[in-house]
Amino acid sequence: MTATVDVSLLAAAAITVAAPLFGAAVTASGLHRGSPRRLAVAMACVSLLGSLAITMLWSQTDGAPRVFGDRLGGGWFVCIDGITAVLLPYVALVEMAILMVAPRRALEPSAVARILFGAAATLAVFLTSHPLLLIALWCATALPTWISVRSTPGGNAAARVFAIAMSAAVLCMAVGTVLLIIDPPWVAAPGWVGSAGGWLVALAVMIRKGIFPFHSWYPALFSGATMSTALAATVPQVASYTAVRLLIGHVDHPEGVAAELVVLSQMALITATYGAALAIVQRDLRSLIGTLAMSQSALVLGGLAGTLPMELNGAFCVWISSGLALTGIGLVSWALESRAGPIRLDTPQGRFWDAPALAAFFLLFGLAGIGLPGTLSFVADDLIVSGSLDEQLHAGLLVILATVLSGIAMMRGWFHVFGGPGDSEGTRHAILLRERVALTALLAALFLLGLWPDPLVRALDRATARLLGTPSAAAAHDLQDLPQGR
Amino acid sequence: MMTNHDIVSLLVICQLAAPAATVALVGVPALLGRPPSERATALIVGGGFAAGFIAGLLTLAVLAARSFVPEIVHLGSWFSVGHHEASIELVADALSVPYVCFSTGLCGLVNAFARKYLHREPGFTRFFLLLAVFGTGMNLMVLAGSIDVLFAGWELLGISSTLLIGFFLERGNAVRAAMRAFATYRVCDVGLLAAAVMVHRAVGSGDFNRLFGENWPHGTCLVPAATATIVSLLLVFAAMGKSAQVPFSGWLPQAMEGPTPSSAIFYGALSIHAGAYVLLRCESLLEQAPLARGLLIVIGLGTALHANVVGRVQTDLKSMLAYASMTQSGLIFAEIGFGWRIIPLVHVISHAILRSLQILRSPSALHDRHELEAALGGHPGADRWAFGRLLPEGLQARFYRIALDRGFEEMVVGRLFVVPFLRLLECAADLERRWLKLLGGDAGPGGGRS
Repeated sequence: MTATVDVSLLAAAAITVAAPLFGAAVTASGLHRGSPRRLAVAMACVSLLGSLAITMLWSQTDGAPRVFGDRLGGGWFVCIDGITAVLLPYVALVEMAILMVAPRRALEPSAVARILFGAAATLAVFLTSHPLLLIALWCATALPTWISVRSTPGGNAAARVFAIAMSAAVLCMAVGTVLLIIDPPWVAAPGWVGSAGGWLVALAVMIRKGIFPFHSWYPALFSGATMSTALAATVPQVASYTAVRLLIGHVDHPEGVAAELVVLSQMALITATYGAALAIVQRDLRSLIGTLAMSQSALVLGGLAGTLPMELNGAFCVWISSGLALTGIGLVSWALESRAGPIRLDTPQGRFWDAPALAAFFLLFGLAGIGLPGTLSFVADDLIVSGSLDEQLHAGLLVILATVLSGIAMMRGWFHVFGGPGDSEGTRHAILLRERVALTALLAALFLLGLWPDPLVRALDRATARLLGTPSAAAAHDLQDLPQGR
Repeated sequence: MMTNHDIVSLLVICQLAAPAATVALVGVPALLGRPPSERATALIVGGGFAAGFIAGLLTLAVLAARSFVPEIVHLGSWFSVGHHEASIELVADALSVPYVCFSTGLCGLVNAFARKYLHREPGFTRFFLLLAVFGTGMNLMVLAGSIDVLFAGWELLGISSTLLIGFFLERGNAVRAAMRAFATYRVCDVGLLAAAVMVHRAVGSGDFNRLFGENWPHGTCLVPAATATIVSLLLVFAAMGKSAQVPFSGWLPQAMEGPTPSSAIFYGALSIHAGAYVLLRCESLLEQAPLARGLLIVIGLGTALHANVVGRVQTDLKSMLAYASMTQSGLIFAEIGFGWRIIPLVHVISHAILRSLQILRSPSALHDRHELEAALGGHPGADRWAFGRLLPEGLQARFYRIALDRGFEEMVVGRLFVVPFLRLLECAADLERRWLKLLGGDAGPGGGRS
């Protein structure tokens, strides 16, 4: 039975990564004569189904990580555990939504190939815990992004900022990982080599995640790149996953990497608050989304670096809820921009009258990102605030401040984009069917997970308990539910 | 055979589900591009409120027959992590059920009024959808048997209120007023969020029956005085924002930018008293927290005095009514601070009915007054500043100036907190832009578009 599940898991993992890779190869080679979008969406669908199959198969296991291939530096070539099972469908759904909503002119064959290749690399990240493979995949995810930003008209400056940040991050990651492999802190108390390795990996994570003072590439990318590029590069949060695999998973060794985690956590919370505050005074919509994405991504890392299951659970929920909400906002903004040009926030722009349906979607995604009851973000905020306050008062207060400020920034954004007098003779922009389908799917995920969060929270509870080496409350609860005598 | 508990549970679920179902029935087709007609929209939303109202009345009858013994309706656990459990628990007692009848009844009446008032308004569906969201949030908050459920209802109230203040999106003032109200709500909601966390830490869940005895208004506090004081102070802070108490009152007169029916129900009747309701619900905690009660009295009386003086010099009817609401809301806060339970509840309900009637009547009252003035050839009414003329002349001018400047409340809050904060952020944003320019080259990022 276990062997069958293992084979099925491996097959599903292969399909999840291979489908977009196949799509990228076919599109790049020019073999496909039809619409690039159709092929890309089909491949993204297959990938999403593969990831959902992993989640379903995983739910039938005993919760122990399934590992395949070589082991190196505390990681495995293919590693499927509770975190993979939860995050993989999320990443696949985001990639599919991006491909469905992208305007036609952003989907030339070369661009589609880059998006699909980036998607395959990103999905592969979530299937491994092998340090060297992670380094290679960091490069594989950053490269198409950089090429895409460079090829965007006016995107050279953003490409340069991105290249500086990613080069530094990959370098720190590579050197840090090698040092960690030489002197692994998860085997014994490390010497200076292991400690230096831990600090370098932490630095790499900070740069790749846009943590203060290395945050500038985040808003720059949103301002200078196409929305698909910016969303695909930031929303999956590859660096958070790396932090989980290389740093957080070994927190039970107090002399190992704990000090780096403390610094990471504090800097992340400061970034979350700073980003949310900065978002309030942004002058254009792209910068607003960029700074909000930076803030939310930092909030995730702040929670992940905690030591309480509730805090980690909250961080994972914020990861998914803010990612889905920001993807929705980004895609609505992109749809709006593609119809009516760039959007300023200095004064109310009156776009409600041109595009009421897009206004409704923007509002719902915005509210779903700031804790609307009934959406996943309400649950996520509850967990991360409670967890942070339980751990440290100042951490909890920073989390609360970040959520308050991001809420104000989000509503200001909505009122400034859609409020104001409209052009009574202007064109009415109807929403396209493919846009409506993709945005509705994202919204449905946010509401379903918000109204019925227990399965997700339980799955995350098991995953975080394993990560922290603590007993899972969900598992204990399940044992209580079992009939007597079993 | 259904027990009394089963019947009450079913009715309570109906009170909550009826308006919530209307949100889905109107909202989902609207989101899919096929909004229902005006008639269908008003019927669906009105039907939801009517069903909630009838269920409320039936619950009231069942409870009254059993001397208002409270019924706890446990709908299960929403989610739980470790010791943190968010349960969906509702309560039917002498406070919640009459309040639900009153609020759904009022929502139903406003629904009927707005159907004619907003006929052919471009945002007709949007208004009714937000009214349904408000009704759902209100019932959720009133029936909440745990602080998690109460917080969910509270948030829905804030969001629907903000969106209705900014209903006329084309007006700059409406957009500014909505942002102002939302920022105030958001800041003060911190109090309720922190209170929820405190409650979870203190008793391991958010259920009220672990905090205080269920038998309102004779409940007893079940937590130590220190916990009760901290939670009470946080609740008072949260209530100050929603109920427009000084120094968070500046948003209320501006909130009248919304459509008249929503102004009536939000700022004359229900939303403005949401804070008072929460404090009444947790009155057993307040009893153990003399500091919080003292603060309530000071804030309440201060707000009442401020609003009364400022309201006397207002030159438009809606602002006058807003300050009148604020005055009464302040008095209700003080009454709760004095430890009274039934008097503030009666005050809330009577004031809400009177004020919503006045606000709904205000557009036609203005018309009537203009006709009266034309017929009389002059000013018919009494001078609202007449009471002020009893003061010495020097003080009269000073008070008049203070009242015209709305007690300098906005100036103080703006100059001391908002403006410096925004300047600091602008400065940081400017530094960020320069840094990016340096990193990215002459133009800096920002040119790339699809």
